[in-house]
Amino acid sequence: MRLPKFEYIEPTGLKEASSILIKEGGARILAGGTDMLVNMKHRVDLPSLIVNIKKIPGLDSIRKENGTLKIGALTPLKQVSVNPDVLKFAPGLAQAASSVGSYHHQTMGTIGGNICQQNRCKYFNQSKWWRSSRELCFKAGGETCYVVNKKDICYSSYCGDMAPALLTMNAKVKLVDAQGAREVLLESIFSGDGKNPLNLKKGEILTEFVLPEDSMKGISIYRKTANRESIDFPIVGAALWASKESGSLRIAFTAVDRKPVVVQGALLTNKVEDIMELASKSARPVNNSVYSASYKKKMMGMLVKSMLGELN
Amino acid sequence: MEKKYSVVGARLPMLDAGEKVKGAARFTDDIVLPGMLHGKILRSPFPHAKILNIDTSKAEKLIGVKGVITGRDIPDVPYGIVPKAKDEFALAKIKVRHVGEAVVAVCATDPEIAEEALDLIKVEYEQLPGVFDPLDAIKEGAPLVHDNTPNNISASIHKSFGEGEKAFDDCDLVFDNTFYSQAVNHAPLEPHAAVAQFDPLKGEMVIWSSTQIPFFLRRNISTTILIPESKIRVIKPRVGGGFGQKIDMFSKDFCACWFARQTGRPVKFLYDREEIFVATRQRHPMYVRVKTGMKKDGTIHAQRFWAHADGGAYNSTAPLMITLSCYFLMVPYRVPNLVYEGYHVYTNKPVGGAMRGHGIPQARFAVERQLDMIAVEMGIDPAELRIKNSLHAHEPHPGGFIINTCGFSESVEKAAEAIGWREKRGKLPYGRGVGMGGASFPSGVSNMSHLASGAVVQLGQDGAVTLLTGAADIGQGAETVIAQIVAEELGVRLEDIRVTAADTGITPLDAGTFGSGVTVRAGNAALEAATSLKKKLFEFVAKEMEANPLDLVARDRLIYVKGSPDKGMPLMEAIKRYRYADLPMPIVGRGSWMAPASEPTTLLNEEGNFAPNYSFMTQAAEVEIDFDTGKVKVVKMVTAHDCGTPINPLLVEGQLEGSIMGGIGHALYENVITEKGQVMNPSFLDYGFPTAMEMPEMEGISIETDDPVGPFGAKESGEGTQLAPAPAIVNAIYDAIGVNFMELPITPEKILKALEENKRSEKPRS
Amino acid sequence: MKQAINLNVNGDTYELLVAPNLTLLEVLREKIGLMGTKRGCDLGACGACTVLVDGEAYLSCIMLAVDAVGKNITTIEGLSHEGELHPLQRSFIDNGGLQCGFCTPGMILTAKAVLDEDPSPTEESLKKKLAGNLCRCTGYKKVLDSVMDVAGQSSKEG
Repeated sequence: MRLPKFEYIEPTGLKEASSILIKEGGARILAGGTDMLVNMKHRVDLPSLIVNIKKIPGLDSIRKENGTLKIGALTPLKQVSVNPDVLKFAPGLAQAASSVGSYHHQTMGTIGGNICQQNRCKYFNQSKWWRSSRELCFKAGGETCYVVNKKDICYSSYCGDMAPALLTMNAKVKLVDAQGAREVLLESIFSGDGKNPLNLKKGEILTEFVLPEDSMKGISIYRKTANRESIDFPIVGAALWASKESGSLRIAFTAVDRKPVVVQGALLTNKVEDIMELASKSARPVNNSVYSASYKKKMMGMLVKSMLGELN
Repeated sequence: MEKKYSVVGARLPMLDAGEKVKGAARFTDDIVLPGMLHGKILRSPFPHAKILNIDTSKAEKLIGVKGVITGRDIPDVPYGIVPKAKDEFALAKIKVRHVGEAVVAVCATDPEIAEEALDLIKVEYEQLPGVFDPLDAIKEGAPLVHDNTPNNISASIHKSFGEGEKAFDDCDLVFDNTFYSQAVNHAPLEPHAAVAQFDPLKGEMVIWSSTQIPFFLRRNISTTILIPESKIRVIKPRVGGGFGQKIDMFSKDFCACWFARQTGRPVKFLYDREEIFVATRQRHPMYVRVKTGMKKDGTIHAQRFWAHADGGAYNSTAPLMITLSCYFLMVPYRVPNLVYEGYHVYTNKPVGGAMRGHGIPQARFAVERQLDMIAVEMGIDPAELRIKNSLHAHEPHPGGFIINTCGFSESVEKAAEAIGWREKRGKLPYGRGVGMGGASFPSGVSNMSHLASGAVVQLGQDGAVTLLTGAADIGQGAETVIAQIVAEELGVRLEDIRVTAADTGITPLDAGTFGSGVTVRAGNAALEAATSLKKKLFEFVAKEMEANPLDLVARDRLIYVKGSPDKGMPLMEAIKRYRYADLPMPIVGRGSWMAPASEPTTLLNEEGNFAPNYSFMTQAAEVEIDFDTGKVKVVKMVTAHDCGTPINPLLVEGQLEGSIMGGIGHALYENVITEKGQVMNPSFLDYGFPTAMEMPEMEGISIETDDPVGPFGAKESGEGTQLAPAPAIVNAIYDAIGVNFMELPITPEKILKALEENKRSEKPRS
Repeated sequence: MKQAINLNVNGDTYELLVAPNLTLLEVLREKIGLMGTKRGCDLGACGACTVLVDGEAYLSCIMLAVDAVGKNITTIEGLSHEGELHPLQRSFIDNGGLQCGFCTPGMILTAKAVLDEDPSPTEESLKKKLAGNLCRCTGYKKVLDSVMDVAGQSSKEG
């Protein structure tokens, strides 16, 4: 499958990149490209201009700063998975990074790119020819969502592996544009809208992840279940963060809803069965993949059980 | 002690391994010719529809487009690999019968322009009701996929052996179970491709095609492009795997030739992975019902078998597939009374074709699963049950099979020993288990016409041996194995053999790579050619050495009287003397071989032995269930395998190991999922093609039975080992959690459901 | 709009005029004529298109050619040195680590990237890193044996 035509530019600074994104409506950021280029071959993503931000320096380092751990958005996943500070303070993040796709995807793909990936659905992630069997689906610019046979709503899933572990650690993200920068909770950038999964202002570029100091004092785990042990997106991905000191427990999922799901109200002191119930109630997966929603729901509880088992 | 053979039986790298590791092996898509055009195909988005109108005007005007054709532009000559089952056209005529059927072909100066051209074509369809399951398709009133095929049954077989159904009256126990095996894609790494070039002065077509069947392809091109076979040359470049998916002519072959003739320029067609999933071939999904009658003492007395194969929209190998599926119930166990009926049913889905095992994996899964259920019910150990019912060499066979060598019962014993059967079966903790499956496969089919092979071998004055063989090496190493056979016979080394293969313009005919017949058929043809050459050489050398030609031995470039290698004549010396005696060089030997059959018959109408020999094997698996996710981990897979004589043990092991991964995919990971005829996972992102992470520990045990018909005693080793891994795994799952699964694949979800039911019903294990 | 770029492949510099929407795989095969890198699925899911970019394993079918400017690209053709096969190539031949050979260039290059990073990997970690290279013929066993053989040798030489 050939790529569609587009213009290409390599800005050397963030302000420049941001201005380009604001000026050109159809401009899209190129990081590792492992998600976007596939979607382009499928013609569900048709940028008029590709903005390769990999020439902008300073976006791919991992460092401790004032007690926090800062991870540049362009850090390759492979580096995240082997970085000594990540392994020590946020092992769940390393587990997640080493579970993404295959070794090659971890080399090419970046943590920022993984977070900002497009949502997925069996009716959406298909070639243009495949999708011509039906009218365009809502996410692709049409009217109907074929998952639920309703109009004007999208039931695609967010399937990125990195989100759950970051969310359970209360990660923040730094968003930069031509005007300046802001730092917000990662959780807030996920819109829950299957058609436009990210809440970013026009021209905003995610440059950095910040893990707060207290989150690095707990235990973090990521567990992924997929058909195969490589290449595949998660059927369900689950992360857990626990602090035995404070008794806090945080759980998050990917691939079960239109955005990653954070489970509210779980406590380390609760019974395992109650935590599992809370977890599996936190989202209602739909049949938008070749794996059944009921299996996903089951796995939400099972993965949590397995991770809780590791705490002891 | 000297080894029996010096080249046969040696672990030797493939002849073309060097070029492959350098990336220098030339596959079809690596061929670039001056002025070459690129073709692409527009395919139907609907499973069943009338073609109302095709507007190609915009596409024709696109700069760079050099040709556009539809079904209206091509002759009304259907094709297919089995002559009596021809039902396909390269481009759909009147209606489309499956999502992905070819409708329009274009060629352009650039692949990108060709793709753009497809976007400019407007096809109007009128959708028709479709059928998506064979059991629905055979019902009265179901939509017909082909108007001339009532009940959508395009091929069927009914046979009865022994007393047939009556024999069930004499059985002490009768078991009746229904099983299902899913759609699986061969998924060779190399996509289907063809490059064609036409010489208008001579009216000659040359086509390079990633194919398993160069000679059949030539015939199909001839009848559809309307050029005599003698003016068509099919050349098979290196092929990146086939597994059966490259048997058949495809639209790409036809259209490349058509456009090459129309434009006067070379034309390349390359399929992308999605096209391979929807528009080539897949393993037939199959409903299989088995009724088995047992005697109290554990012997199989009667068996009845019903199969409904989901053929998809076209036949491909239909009559052959359904026949093989049924016939192969008669090995490896003694089944004195057998009835079967098999149906190949059209549906509006991707086309089923030959896939490693060709209809037999599905049947074998059913039979081996049921055998285990029978063993449990009767309180007999499954290994012992298999040994008890095992065929043996030379015993009379209800179907007329001539089985000269049979290592089956030995394979059961050896596989059981290697997996630790006695210590483990029924004894491992809940969640772990062992299981086994037995199988047998023909080394190509005889009792059919057309399946012959020829070879020419030449010994030149440089001491090199040229081998011309029609055999189609698709990566399994056929050229190497045949070269080893020739090298052994002539007493030279493998590196002395120069192979030219699978070029219909140069090499003698070979039927092609299917049915696991190449080693025996093409190997025997080459052996005969080498023997004929050796005879001429030995006649001369014997005179020179004042010996009897029958006493001469050739080995490792030396010719000597048996027992006196120290007084031998080096081959180069013999050649030199031969030349100086003014005898014509090169010395040529010719051979041709067809599997012995009492008379030319067809498999479908006659009984009798229809394979030159049969391989036998048992596979045993150990599995471990993850109770949280339901995932099944195959811990170890053992194969005890009788392929007569392994000509090249390194390559035989490669076949076993590859087969096992394919079997694991079949059992656990792979499924071509369709919704109303549309494949939902037509890419490697969503299709469960096993990765290295899914690989178990693998052990292979060779059982050598030295078959009299096979070259140097060889039997097949390409397909048989893909029959039993799936049942072995599913039988092991029974041992692990006490659940009988009747359909494939066994997904984690099914396991979790079963575990839950186990808890609810407090079901004890075994 | 087409761009004039220089690509460094196997130590040679190629001057090319390419549209930005060409992948590195397409440029290697269609513009430069190096056919050793294979197209298996075109969506980055099989590893047959693996090339080394500054020594790391990349999927050339989902990488823009223009994005490869300024990098050292190694294809399978660049592995043997002055006619001598690389130890990995030798090992694959001797151990039967290939059959049809289509996945082989990708396998060998990925293996090289893995061993350059970690000369004596465990079989488990090697499996995981090679798992992005699909093979239908070998069942992976002899592929892993071929790589472990080279890893073992280099660790012997220490």
